[in-house]
Amino acid sequence: MVKLRARCLVVGDAAVGKSALCHTFYSDGTLFQKNYSMTTGVELIMKCVNIPESSDSVELYIIDSAGKETLVETCEKMWGQPSLLCLVFDLTSQQSFANCSCWMERMAAHCKGLQIQGVLVGNKSDLSARREVQESVAKEWAQSQGLEYHETSAKEMENCDAPFRRLAQAFHSLYQQRRDTIQNLGPA
Amino acid sequence: MFDSVGPHVVMAASSDENHPPENITDGNTKTFWISTGMFPQEFVLRFAEPTQISGVTVDSYNVKHLKIDKNTTQQASQFEPVAEKEFECTEGQLQSNYISLNGSSATQLRFIIASGYDHFVSVHRVSVKY
Repeated sequence: MVKLRARCLVVGDAAVGKSALCHTFYSDGTLFQKNYSMTTGVELIMKCVNIPESSDSVELYIIDSAGKETLVETCEKMWGQPSLLCLVFDLTSQQSFANCSCWMERMAAHCKGLQIQGVLVGNKSDLSARREVQESVAKEWAQSQGLEYHETSAKEMENCDAPFRRLAQAFHSLYQQRRDTIQNLGPA
Repeated sequence: MFDSVGPHVVMAASSDENHPPENITDGNTKTFWISTGMFPQEFVLRFAEPTQISGVTVDSYNVKHLKIDKNTTQQASQFEPVAEKEFECTEGQLQSNYISLNGSSATQLRFIIASGYDHFVSVHRVSVKY
């Protein structure tokens, strides 16, 4: 039995639903805050995810960071060194999708050369009439960045677990790979 | 087995039950302790009594920046920094680094791994030179 720990950074433009997604995941789909309250700093949420078909688990330290441009610089100081990335955009806002590449660049500066596994999340899938970003387009960009693509609706509590569970599983697989490598190392 | 006067690990920030921190002091580089995510990571070695230490050799993998603190009491408080070192990346083989402690007297040594070349790092052996 192993308990892994991962620092999961959640970023994306303001009002795309990062906090709503985090809270829905944290509360197992029982909590969706109807009133918008902008995150002005960084909120830390901890949740333990069990890895299927094993006795292992991953403690996700979810860093929900403000998306508003003027606050980003201050928040970045609290990002630390991320283990995982959850990049969120709003399916009804082309601009929030376009800005994803900026977020990737910002994040890369904190990774100190380590490769970070991540997901791209298109949120607000319930607002289908107002959709501006097509699934195929988002999926293609995600692939080009090495991210796995998910669509969610925090409001309808749809699919909000999936991105976080996948991240936990990816981190667990990486651990197993690295542990095997270390087991087979040659002497100094 | 343990050298009766050698140090024992009394604390480690991570644990995979198949790779316990005791592997650091068993004298064998085949066995190891592995970190299980995030930095910093640390472990504490305790000596039976205050001991003069010339230096330590750390056999590890993917450790980038290591700091060593010491204290001279049995309480795990009031550590003071004694040394730090940036390790080189050695892909595919163990790192082996000697760190001089200049004969400082210590009851406990705290090893703080501030950063790594990967998400997970391992420590295979710490040998103490008196």
